Amino acid sequence: MVERFLAEADLPAVAKAWAREYRVLAPVREGAAVVYRVFSADMHPFLGRPPSSSAKEALLPQTENLFSYKYRKDQTDLTRTEVFLSEPVPPEPTLILGPRPCDARGRHLLDRVFLERGVIDPQYTAHRAATLFVSVACTRMENTCFCHWTGGAMDDETGSDVLLHPVTGGFVARAVTLAGEKLLLSMGGALPEASASALAELAERKKNAPAPEPAPDLTGVAEAFLAKFEDLDFWTDQSARCLSCGVCTYLCPTCSCFNITDENSGMAGRRLRTWDTCMSALYSLEGSGHNPRPSRAHRLRNRVGHKFCYHPREFPEAATAPPLSPSGLEFSCTGCGRCIKSCPVAVDIRQIVLDVIEAAEKTPEQPGQPEKVEAK
Amino acid sequence: MNAQSPYIPELATIIETFDETPDVKTFRVVLQDKAKMAAFRFEPGQVAQLSVFGTGESTFVICSPPTRMDYLQFSVMRVGELTHRLHTLKEGDPIGLRAPLGNHFPYQDMQGKDIVFVGGGLGLAPLRTLLLFMLDNRADYGNITLIYGGRTPEHLCFKDELAEWAARGDMRVELTVDNPGESWTGRTGVVPAVLTELGVRPENAVAVTCGPPIMIRFTLEALGKLGFTDEQIVTTLERRMKCGIGLCGRCNIGEKFVCVDGPVFTQAQLKGLPQEF
Repeated sequence: MVERFLAEADLPAVAKAWAREYRVLAPVREGAAVVYRVFSADMHPFLGRPPSSSAKEALLPQTENLFSYKYRKDQTDLTRTEVFLSEPVPPEPTLILGPRPCDARGRHLLDRVFLERGVIDPQYTAHRAATLFVSVACTRMENTCFCHWTGGAMDDETGSDVLLHPVTGGFVARAVTLAGEKLLLSMGGALPEASASALAELAERKKNAPAPEPAPDLTGVAEAFLAKFEDLDFWTDQSARCLSCGVCTYLCPTCSCFNITDENSGMAGRRLRTWDTCMSALYSLEGSGHNPRPSRAHRLRNRVGHKFCYHPREFPEAATAPPLSPSGLEFSCTGCGRCIKSCPVAVDIRQIVLDVIEAAEKTPEQPGQPEKVEAK
Repeated sequence: MNAQSPYIPELATIIETFDETPDVKTFRVVLQDKAKMAAFRFEPGQVAQLSVFGTGESTFVICSPPTRMDYLQFSVMRVGELTHRLHTLKEGDPIGLRAPLGNHFPYQDMQGKDIVFVGGGLGLAPLRTLLLFMLDNRADYGNITLIYGGRTPEHLCFKDELAEWAARGDMRVELTVDNPGESWTGRTGVVPAVLTELGVRPENAVAVTCGPPIMIRFTLEALGKLGFTDEQIVTTLERRMKCGIGLCGRCNIGEKFVCVDGPVFTQAQLKGLPQEF
């Protein structure tokens, strides 16, 4: 196992060295937020708190070019035009510094969508191959954290190439993948072997770390969700405060829905893919004016349902899964808590999930009665 | 599909356009690459993403059948930004095409059965591809009936073909309109009422329906009363779509995606999904 020591004071120099070979996305403080910026020599990466946004922008940029087009008038018949398409430029090698284990685990859940659902997304594949995750292990759980509900942990290595474990004066940098090992070894003396005292401190902290409050039993959450699906009063109640702002989905490490739009300038332009949010009414609004999810209740139901019901039903075998949740299911949620922390009206997905389970238990299906199905 | 990226359309050229109704226009297109056009294959009921570069993309059913490959036909109602722009295009204009997408009508399972098409308005477009496919393989199917309605006679699509089909002698065509106007001599009334009045028999039959949601709702009711089971009713859904390949998320019904698991579903399949239509 390759274990090196990264001194806190050396962070800018190490990031600078990495920036010679990679586009380094590093977390920096901006006001109250910690945001990823492309590293430049005058920056001091800040690893003291989880970044405000997830790391998904490294793999699924907020905006990216799918292709470019250009119209050209036919010079022999000016009433005619021809169109020419060109492929986007491939992504640069990228190193993202500072994701937390919940973010790195999100990489695995994005893989489910873009690599395992059927059509393999070529742009995601290219970003995936070009990107290294140098993540930071957590030393405490914030009150919005619930990674252990979903199978994660403060020092879970899933999805990371290197995991930095905070110790006095810096980090023990532990390689997780071969690429991570190469990255650490390539730094030579800048990253010395981790000292015995640093490793002892790490082992001691792990031994003494208080166990989080036990995760609730989510074994039946998918069935409970379906049982409460048609109870729109329940969902109206749950979504009463929701503003449809979508911050929950933009900051989520696993939300991957996107929009496709054209950006036109004269006779040329680009087709772009941008993050989208299922919390917006426009997301599912059809040309005819019909909307299958017309209210916030419908839309919140879809977000919760996707993460805790549709995803585990779509990927029930989870053959390549990292540690599953204690309930044996893979959720499309890593328990990072950003949707809770950043929600302007304090919608808490944990409480919704618990309420769904509790409400479904209170109104069990009557045995012998046919399944209730409404006519379309 | 483009070999490099499923998001990059093939270039196509519009070879013919004509109006079906005041707000529906038909486009016939061919791929610019002749070899790709010759190799293009699809199944009845599959859809395409049509691009007008600079405006965007939308999903439309390929409403010509795979048995007639001189061109691909699309009939488009003018409702939003993209369709307004499409309606301004003319013969010779380039467009983008990503196809085929989605599943198709289970025509193999329908062989030897009586087929009842029940359509309203532009809902006839997806039925047309299957109907023409069946007419081109006529011996494989039993009796074929088309019950089709529109708001007014003017709003009926594919008018010339409706007359041709009625004159063929090997299928039955029943047309109806909500508002007859002055020159209409045919039936007046809604499609489900015609279905009931004709007393269509469910034995060894399959009903294939597409139309506005309100028509579908009462058609399902009428078919149920006639004795059709949920397995004998096939429909094709509309949803807002972007990617068409199951990734962008918006067309989900539970864990199914209309763009890849659909758009064609039996009523039995739909009843097994979360009821979010």
